[in-house]
Amino acid sequence: MSIHIHNITKTFGSFNALKNVNLEVKTGELVALLGPSGSGKTTLLRIIAGLEFADEGAGSIEFHGSDVTNRTAYERKAGFVFQNYALFNHMTVAENIAFGLRVMKKPQRPEREDIDKSVTELLRRIALEGYGGRYPSQLSGGQKQRVALARALAVGPQVLLLDEPFGALDAKVRKTLRKWLRQFHDETKVTTLFVTHDQDEAFELADRVVILHEGDVQQVGSPAQLRENPKNEFVADFLDCVMI
Amino acid sequence: MAALIDIHPAKHRTRVRRATAESAWSRWLVISIAVGFMGLMFVLPLVVIFQEAFRKGWEGYVEAFDDRATMHAIWLTLQVAAITVPLNTIFGLAAAWCVSRFWFRGKRLLTSLIELPLWVSPVIAGLIYVLLFGAKGFFGPSLKEHGIKIIFALPGIVLSTIFVTFTFVARVLTPQMEAQGQAEEEAAMTLGANGFQMFWRVTIPKIKWGLLYGIILCNARSMGEFGAVSVVSGHIRNKTNTVPLHIEVLYNEYQFVPAFAVASVLTLLALATLILKTLTTTKRGAA
Repeated sequence: MSIHIHNITKTFGSFNALKNVNLEVKTGELVALLGPSGSGKTTLLRIIAGLEFADEGAGSIEFHGSDVTNRTAYERKAGFVFQNYALFNHMTVAENIAFGLRVMKKPQRPEREDIDKSVTELLRRIALEGYGGRYPSQLSGGQKQRVALARALAVGPQVLLLDEPFGALDAKVRKTLRKWLRQFHDETKVTTLFVTHDQDEAFELADRVVILHEGDVQQVGSPAQLRENPKNEFVADFLDCVMI
Repeated sequence: MAALIDIHPAKHRTRVRRATAESAWSRWLVISIAVGFMGLMFVLPLVVIFQEAFRKGWEGYVEAFDDRATMHAIWLTLQVAAITVPLNTIFGLAAAWCVSRFWFRGKRLLTSLIELPLWVSPVIAGLIYVLLFGAKGFFGPSLKEHGIKIIFALPGIVLSTIFVTFTFVARVLTPQMEAQGQAEEEAAMTLGANGFQMFWRVTIPKIKWGLLYGIILCNARSMGEFGAVSVVSGHIRNKTNTVPLHIEVLYNEYQFVPAFAVASVLTLLALATLILKTLTTTKRGAA
């Protein structure tokens, strides 16, 4: 599913978090939102998910051509993975993953056995078979991250949004998970947008990278394009840091 | 070194002095003041209550409850608590939800109003309702016209008890909900949960121990409230006397054994509250 963002502006009080942002994410693409902290990347991701709303009358958001600007998060059902995972601590891993299926309305809700089956399948996919009965507090950071991802994927979202997915993990786990996510994306082809402040991560993972600075999109392009043709001083400066 | 610690553990411990540690003498003084004060102010009265209640033995104690007015007072207090506690639970949840989740004009005012019962004398609380709903009060004439009785009746007692106890659930939950944030609720929403499902499946389990703690405190206070209820109740025996008011009546009539026997029921309630409170605090700490 494609995402179209037209002229999105967001202000918090007097602070201009996003200024007239335009962006298009094609179906099946893996796109990184890259920028220093405070550049508005998380705000943009939350607006796409419907957890935050853009300023009234300022632009629109379309999911696969249909306008979702005024739809709530509950209606958009974009898979969202939070920076600190936001797992339900009082539920087991299996219950966490099954949550999205269990809250479905009666006609769509799968049978109990089918839910169990999808949970088992997802646990296998995230290489946590046999962990279904554990509680989040008994998992490591990397494991929690994968459970959060499985929980988001259980409902079969058309869009996957990840906020600093590897931010709280140590370097080694981060590298492994990065590879795993890329592979996972190649298999499933779910349109994915992730936020990061780590240039390496963005360049290694993404098909295209969006560089944000002070609420403005500076440049959009493939890693190679950005490296060869930085559009302005900020991009050049920001990317130079990577090379060293 | 290890052997030395094993042989003289106590001796070794006293040698380790932290920068903030007091001298043994002042530590002793502070501890004995605290323990002595607790003993004098809390433990001793507790002992006296039960001693007086059982002055005429177990039979005397049981006999004290074989009294229509006493049973009515207990029944009335249970009724008041049964109305007050659920209402204040709902109110407390709603208030904590508003304050911890949204920014709105007048939020500060609401937060201070929630604490109002802690710094307003309960007698004033009772008087407010008399001034509003009493025979000569603001709404008095129109209430009389419609035959509604609030003051010197159950509604007045419930109203003033609600006023005195509405702070507890809200005050326990607000800081807890602020600290927990709302990432889990947002996660539930992106997974397609509606507001109702989010509340019951995510929010309530997160706050349940805090909620229980608030409810226990609210219940204890609503059963034990004297001042506010005293103003609005009119002390009508078999009609508007709650347990605390009834104890006073008995005591003033020199019926010491029944007075202390009924008082012991409230004391047991307090002790049970204390135990439950400790349990929920540990649970809350562990959660």
